Amino acid sequence: MPKNSTLKPSKKKKQVWNLKTLPFFCARIFLGGIFIIASLDKILNPGAFAEIIHNYQFLPDAFINLTAIILPWAELLLGLFLVIGIWLPGAALLSTILLVVFWGSLLFNLIRGLDVYCGCFSTSIEVPSDATMIWYVVRDGIFLLLAFIVCYYVFFMKRRKLGSASQKMKREFPGVYQRRK
Amino acid sequence: MAETEKKRKIAVRGICQAGGIILLAAILGLLVNQIRSERLPLMADWSPEARLTLESGENIAISLGEAREAFLSKEGVFLDARSSELYEGGHIRGARNLPWQAVDEHFDAVMADIPKDRLVIAYCDGEACALSKDLAIELLFRGYENVRVLINGWSIWQENQLPVAKGSQPEALQAN
Repeated sequence: MPKNSTLKPSKKKKQVWNLKTLPFFCARIFLGGIFIIASLDKILNPGAFAEIIHNYQFLPDAFINLTAIILPWAELLLGLFLVIGIWLPGAALLSTILLVVFWGSLLFNLIRGLDVYCGCFSTSIEVPSDATMIWYVVRDGIFLLLAFIVCYYVFFMKRRKLGSASQKMKREFPGVYQRRK
Repeated sequence: MAETEKKRKIAVRGICQAGGIILLAAILGLLVNQIRSERLPLMADWSPEARLTLESGENIAISLGEAREAFLSKEGVFLDARSSELYEGGHIRGARNLPWQAVDEHFDAVMADIPKDRLVIAYCDGEACALSKDLAIELLFRGYENVRVLINGWSIWQENQLPVAKGSQPEALQAN
């Protein structure tokens, strides 16, 4: 038994919720849900999704089908990881990159006046007007903002000294965790 | 210093995990695609000509020369598959507007007097525009036998200074 340990459990309650992490939690769950919902229709209809990708005139023809096969699964995994809370740095980074690409391509097509079907949520046939395209740009801009919030918390927020239960144990019972010589 | 090191580590972890997610997605996507009944080929020909080739092998694209002939001889009926706003802004003279997004709504009114064996030429704007192809397939499905698509129709028609018109109604005469 280590000499300095008291083995008294901490009286402080473990704080799961606080005002600092609440925006992160909400943004993470919401963004994850968006990715999951957005992926399902594309997984079920890869052919229609490939046509949507083609209409964006953004990718070389050789990559269109491959993207239509892989991207929806990446979205589903991202969504699940964000909601469950595993592989958060990777999920946050990839979701931000994807949303920057989606948002950029929408904006690019709006500026060059190309009338494309938006494949954001559904593969149903729909020809958006300029107003609809602007709405898509605004909506995806909001999603991108959420992704930035998640990224900020994951990558730039100062780590709490005692963030996890094991770290807490290490602080309170340092002797238990001393390395054997 | 320690904080910077932590941030660097988490950034590296993020990049590795992002790569892992893409790899997992690739494995899952390719695997599911292999067992799917309607398997999507990994690479496909997305050229306008290839996209206008039906499952039967028939290509429904029409050249500008043929379309012009059909226009001058009044043999063909032109269908503008774009929205009514774009049609009003300018269309091939004599073309009727059958917007693809409202095809069920307008079909009977627009197509009532066109015999099933008449040459029908659908067009929209842009090489990648799928509206005319979708409209052509719908017409074939509804029993029209002689349906063709003029690729990038509105743009190439204007570029070749062929007769155009504006307004919401088709003109009675197609040619001067």
